[in-house]
Amino acid sequence: MEDVLRQSAVLQNELVKGWKEKGGKVVGYTCTATPVEVLEAAGLLPYRIRALGSSETEMADARLSRFNCSFCRSCLQLGLNGSYDFLDGMIETNGCDHLRGMIENWERAKGFGFFHYLKVPHVVDEDSIPYFVEELRIYKRAVEDHFDQAISDEALWDRIQARDRIGGKLRAIYDLREREKPGITGAEALSVFLWATAVPSQALEDALDSIIEQRKDHRIENCRARLLLGGAATDEVDFVREIESLGALVVTDALCYGARAFMPRIESSPGGDPFKAMAESYFEKLLCPRMFDDFASRRDFVFKAVKRAKVDGVVLVHNKFCDVHGVDNVALRMALEKAGVPVLQLEKEYGAKADLGRMRTRFQAFLERIEGD
Amino acid sequence: MDVKSKGLVNSLLPRLAVAQYVPTPILAKAGPLLASLKIGPPAMQAALSGLFSPQAGEATVPFLKMISTWVLNARRAAKQGKKVFLVPFNFPCEIIHAFEGAEPLTSEVLSTFGVVALPEQGEEYWDMAMALGLPDHMCSANTIELGSMLGSADFKPQAIISSAPGGCDVNSKIHEFVAHYLDIPHFFLQKPPDDGGRGRAQYNVYMRGLIRRLEDFIGEKLSEDRLRSVLTKANRCTELYYELFDLQKAVPCPVPNIFSLFLYGVRFTMWGTDEGIKALEAMVKVSRERLARKAYPAEKEIARCVWAYTSYYYDLYGLFGWMEEKGYSHLGDGLDLFFPRMVDTSSMDSMIEGLAESAWNMPMTRQVGAESMSRSWTEDVIWAARELNADCVIYCGHHSCKQTWSVVSILREELMDRLGMPILILQGDSWIKRMTPMSVLQEEIDEFVKNVVAKKSTPKRSLKKRRQKRMEEMDS
Amino acid sequence: MYAGIDIGSLTAEALLIGDGGIVGHEIMSVLPNPVDSAREVMGRLLKGKGLDWKDIEYSVSTGYGREKIQKEGLAQENLSEISCHGFGAFNLDRQVRTIVDIGGQDAKVIKVDGKGKLENFVMNDKCAAGTGHFLEAMSRALDVGLAELGPLALRSKKPLEMSNRCTIYVETEVIHYLQRGAAREDVAAGITQAMAERVVSLAKRVVPQNRVMITGGVAKNEAVKKALERALGMAIVYPGLDPQLIGAYGAAVFARGKGGGS
Repeated sequence: MEDVLRQSAVLQNELVKGWKEKGGKVVGYTCTATPVEVLEAAGLLPYRIRALGSSETEMADARLSRFNCSFCRSCLQLGLNGSYDFLDGMIETNGCDHLRGMIENWERAKGFGFFHYLKVPHVVDEDSIPYFVEELRIYKRAVEDHFDQAISDEALWDRIQARDRIGGKLRAIYDLREREKPGITGAEALSVFLWATAVPSQALEDALDSIIEQRKDHRIENCRARLLLGGAATDEVDFVREIESLGALVVTDALCYGARAFMPRIESSPGGDPFKAMAESYFEKLLCPRMFDDFASRRDFVFKAVKRAKVDGVVLVHNKFCDVHGVDNVALRMALEKAGVPVLQLEKEYGAKADLGRMRTRFQAFLERIEGD
Repeated sequence: MDVKSKGLVNSLLPRLAVAQYVPTPILAKAGPLLASLKIGPPAMQAALSGLFSPQAGEATVPFLKMISTWVLNARRAAKQGKKVFLVPFNFPCEIIHAFEGAEPLTSEVLSTFGVVALPEQGEEYWDMAMALGLPDHMCSANTIELGSMLGSADFKPQAIISSAPGGCDVNSKIHEFVAHYLDIPHFFLQKPPDDGGRGRAQYNVYMRGLIRRLEDFIGEKLSEDRLRSVLTKANRCTELYYELFDLQKAVPCPVPNIFSLFLYGVRFTMWGTDEGIKALEAMVKVSRERLARKAYPAEKEIARCVWAYTSYYYDLYGLFGWMEEKGYSHLGDGLDLFFPRMVDTSSMDSMIEGLAESAWNMPMTRQVGAESMSRSWTEDVIWAARELNADCVIYCGHHSCKQTWSVVSILREELMDRLGMPILILQGDSWIKRMTPMSVLQEEIDEFVKNVVAKKSTPKRSLKKRRQKRMEEMDS
Repeated sequence: MYAGIDIGSLTAEALLIGDGGIVGHEIMSVLPNPVDSAREVMGRLLKGKGLDWKDIEYSVSTGYGREKIQKEGLAQENLSEISCHGFGAFNLDRQVRTIVDIGGQDAKVIKVDGKGKLENFVMNDKCAAGTGHFLEAMSRALDVGLAELGPLALRSKKPLEMSNRCTIYVETEVIHYLQRGAAREDVAAGITQAMAERVVSLAKRVVPQNRVMITGGVAKNEAVKKALERALGMAIVYPGLDPQLIGAYGAAVFARGKGGGS
């Protein structure tokens, strides 16, 4: 566990280094709508872009503007300053306007060894599903062509099943987290999930087993309040740590670096069309405010987590200028408040230490508000 | 909800009724007279002076009559039990015009007229949206009207259509929020960010799916005859669009600055209607006469400026009129770059494909909704700058335009590399005056033109020669 | 004896209460370190009353540095200033449900329930417009003392409209108005109006309920209070205590509850 926590706080962790040393290739991606199975089936290591709370954006600001989300600016900064030079390629998705701008500027400034744009529709319906299934085949062919590695349906099914197993283990960690006496803190859990998107899957499976074993009898006592953290793309472990330093525990989440990345996944049986199976998991069940006509499923996901984890309050956060979460959080807040669940809605700057102090007053007041309710 | 506030559209109605029912000759005299008397609040003076600029001449009245017909039709339709659709500006309104039982109202155009014509300039409606806790980085273009729907006794549409998913997050999200909040049906025309044939084919599929759903909701099969009639008129609008574009190439520019707004005002509301045609014909007529008279509002045309995305609308005179007086021609902005095509009206299929093509080319969808956010936008701006013989490009820097803000650095580099052309990057809110005052924007434009835009004395060339040159270029 | 210590961005406040009510209070400008501020302001208060630190049975710190003050042993507990302002205002007037607190660098709108418990809040601490800082900048532009700004604005019969939102631009607008010969009281009234509108747009997010009380340093400016009442369409009451002391008072009342007092 300690090793995972340490390794999750660096971009190029030991396993990535080892992978590269053995001649392995690493391909970056930005968004949960990217089926990593395709990369894995080609023997590549999928690596989800993160910024680890880094607030430096000087180089990025010469390209993106101050009206762009600070998380994307931080990621771009790391791309431009060479921190991501270990990547051998990048899969872009049209996650949001800021992400698109980030990748476009990154590609222009430095280029990628391999680049593919996976186009994800914004509405799930009978017209868009076949389009996305075909989009996945195009993505597979692009990977095959560039890395000169044929990807069979069997290899894809093998990876889909591996991902299902990993999803199951991550859910087991959620069970530890959501139970009455949690076995893991919110900050630890977020670290584990971050690490999980940056390591080879076999090592990941082993590590998750070991974490579950280590923490199954661990009990965190005296929790001041049980919280759900939802909202923007955030990989800021410090942010969660700040909330928890006031005695609360983030016992569940609706973050795209957390539960939303694996919870809604469909477990499919091998044998059919693997692309259809992936389309179902990564697109039809995608829980992200960049999707339209499905606010109800995002809301229900939060409500279920509130109930399951018996939370006392919900913290909804978005980075300044993030429109998709900024608006969705308002609708979620209204729905939760109507149901009598206390909500703290926050707008913050990504990674800014100065902002954490401002946030702390609000966290504390929120805890004082929900205590004794 | 503030039930005491009657809302943006209801507040506009009396003003629109004046434009509708006062006969053209009287309105054409009264407007400029009121503008010259400089009475009333400064916002009203700026609006009147901007709309009734001497340059715009007799084009203002048909334009205002068109806008009033558009809103009043929708109000009437709602009373008759027809369906009123709230659409965003990048949706081709002619689709709705082709239904007997439906009328379109465009949120951004309503916001713009609220900002132009109401005493509070729409700010109270923006505040209503903010009072719900919506973030202040929303786009005022739609949030002003939508704030009014959320927070006042404003009219409510029967359904909302979104065509911004794929082109603009903030636009899509606010429309989704309002549909959810008001619990009204929401239809989508999503844009695949795929410039290839596959993307276009899929867009056709989406268009057909949307029409199917609209038919079900309206309870009316889209009639081939009605559609043909609307698209035939849309084709006439297209001809007039290119005529105006050609006129804009002349030096000095004979097209009044405010026509940039009038042109897309037609596109976003009444494209494919008689009123739309009348407004465009009047604009072409005025511009032609000005070309013949070699009329230009200043002593000399000092700078020819293409605006890369939107302009500023809270002070029409302060921007369009002021530029004109300074000798700075506003050669249109990004919203004018929708390059309409003649639609083949021979069959239902060809017409629906034509509609999909029109939707594909709507501003924003065509540029930042493309596969690359920067490439198509850059190509369009560079093409316009070249064709219109521009000296510079100005980016308005509307705060909430995250997509253009994401790639404006690329536009800047490309303009410099390929045309050696400077770009002025402003910052402000195109619809809300309290963000950056017009005086500050004017100062920046002035400084930029004086210090950065090295005005080459552009040789006057007749349109005929320019066309000839272009033909030669195409031949070679 | 129960104590409340509130260290703000500009001023530090200390307040003592006993079972019978307020024993005394002290306000001073802050020192660079919040712990020093706390020690100094409470020290002065105690000295003035002939008391000693050991006379304090229970102490609660709030505001900036509240946690450090507790760590240093100057308080047994710390509470957010949001809770303390709400609780303080409620304890001064049990009918109060909404508190508008405008300090030097932030503005808060707080809602409490029928027991004075924090129900909801909204806070602005990023944008200067709508805080005391804004009024300070504008009084400089008008060349009047901060304390004179309110009385000046109250003399206006025709407040000027400030069309901008951003502090820098409003400043320019103020100068522009003055250069055009506008009456200073009308400019001052325009400033207070602009400030009130900013705060009300924040307040609307929590749907204010009667009775509304204004607290914080800016509450001393009556023109702002009047402008707020107009913009809000609701009457606003003053606390029966220096509005800057409400946070410290709330902390002290809380301390009394915790310390077993009545």
